[in-house]
Amino acid sequence: MRPHDNRAWFLILPALTLLGLVGALPLLAVINYGFHDIFTLSDVFWVGPQWFADILQSDRFLASLGRSLLFSILALGIQVPLGIGVALLLLTYGRRAVWGLMLVALPLVVPWNMIPMFWLGLIQPETGLLGPSLATVGFDWKFTGWHTWVLILVMDTWHWLGLVVVLAYAGLPAIPPAYLQAAAIDGASRWAVFRFIQLPRITGALAIVFLLRFVDSFMIYTEAFAINAGGPNDATRFLTLELGEEIKGFSYGQAAARATLYFLIVLAVVWAFVAATRERET
Amino acid sequence: MRHLGILALAGFILLPLVQAVILSFTATLPTDRVAEGTIGLMNYRSVLAAPELKAAMVNSLIYVVLNVGLCIGIGLPAAYALARYRFAGDRHFLLMILVFRVTPPVVLSLPIFILFSQFGLVNSPVGIALVHCLFNLPVAIWVLESFIRAVPREFDETAFLDGHTGASFFFRHLIPQIAPGIGVAAFFCFIFSWVEVVFARILTVTGGKPVTMAIQAMFSFQTDIGMVMAMTCLSLVPGVAMIWFVRNHLARGFTLRA
Repeated sequence: MRPHDNRAWFLILPALTLLGLVGALPLLAVINYGFHDIFTLSDVFWVGPQWFADILQSDRFLASLGRSLLFSILALGIQVPLGIGVALLLLTYGRRAVWGLMLVALPLVVPWNMIPMFWLGLIQPETGLLGPSLATVGFDWKFTGWHTWVLILVMDTWHWLGLVVVLAYAGLPAIPPAYLQAAAIDGASRWAVFRFIQLPRITGALAIVFLLRFVDSFMIYTEAFAINAGGPNDATRFLTLELGEEIKGFSYGQAAARATLYFLIVLAVVWAFVAATRERET
Repeated sequence: MRHLGILALAGFILLPLVQAVILSFTATLPTDRVAEGTIGLMNYRSVLAAPELKAAMVNSLIYVVLNVGLCIGIGLPAAYALARYRFAGDRHFLLMILVFRVTPPVVLSLPIFILFSQFGLVNSPVGIALVHCLFNLPVAIWVLESFIRAVPREFDETAFLDGHTGASFFFRHLIPQIAPGIGVAAFFCFIFSWVEVVFARILTVTGGKPVTMAIQAMFSFQTDIGMVMAMTCLSLVPGVAMIWFVRNHLARGFTLRA
């Protein structure tokens, strides 16, 4: 058991100070801006919760919220099982698995604003490697809504699969061989081995994967915008696109109110998740 | 069967990268000397001849090195405190760093810009290095904490009995012991920082542009996509090197601590 010693605070003080400066202070500022109408920085008027009421009552907000939630659910539903599957597959390769890990980690080091460019280049009808064959089967990501969705989901999976694989793989090799031998003697199926021996070992890793992937997919901007700018017909108009438009249109007060709302949604999900995890631990 | 799975995975991961590499060696904008579609090194030559692109590489390297240094330097004592002691508010601290890790950058971009412009940190790599600590410091603390926890407590006690004080224990004993952990922490900080665009965009208005924004600036009415891809491929080099250096420790990862 770790001893109780409040002098440990001195060790976390630098971290606390830095996070206060770049995290807590801007967060308080953005909440404060949300209650004001901001023309210039010296021309600020109190408007109370008006922005919040406006946003929450608009149909566009609710529609975008629905799309963003659906996108997060689909992204998590594809990437988490696929990532675990790849990690289990790599595990059967022993030491050579390192090459697989390096392979799936490659997309993680591509600049985010270039990821859509890679994919657009790939499916370019005339010159792309996949373009001509996709064009013959009638894949039209510019004007068919669900094709755009498929493209963004495939691209997002390409980008982030590596993180899921690396973190899931991290939990797996630590399982003592005796467990697996015992399961084999009991005649446990492959699925039972996974469900009752392997899965419990990687819940900690999966929890962080879940949260990171939820937030990044829920707040996807750069990649989704570059593909089709929210189109066709607003089919891929996610929450962040509206925030981006307000910032570009200099409606800072409204943008701050919207940012506060997004933060609260993310916070609620994280809090529910942590509460559920703690419940299971005790 | 399983080889087939690996092959499919490799195809999926490599295809867009292969496409980018092919484009980077292709002339995509016809000029007086080279016709469109010619294969050669001309894109790389034009990238290396452009001073603003070289400056962007330097800017990116400066802010990433600063950011990784800050996250390790500040994260290490905090990770040690969390791994070795219980103290009032330790779980709240863990919850707080989790919340900051998952705060969407776009939420904070506006006040960060206003705050940093008052301190003269706009258009400078220092500003980006500081603000990226928001999501990298928590990751560094998680990774380092798990590595320190794996070192038995007796290791610390022996060092202190040998007469080492706090600082010399940290530098001469603990850091060599958890060197792979520092490598892994640096790797995760790197991948979240080098490629980030939201803060990088808002904090570089006129100058000090990092690689991501320099690439963005190359898009215009007539974009030389081959040159863009050449610049992108060059920007992958430090990341690939990072992956290579930590390849044997990559599988330590990090887990949720809250």
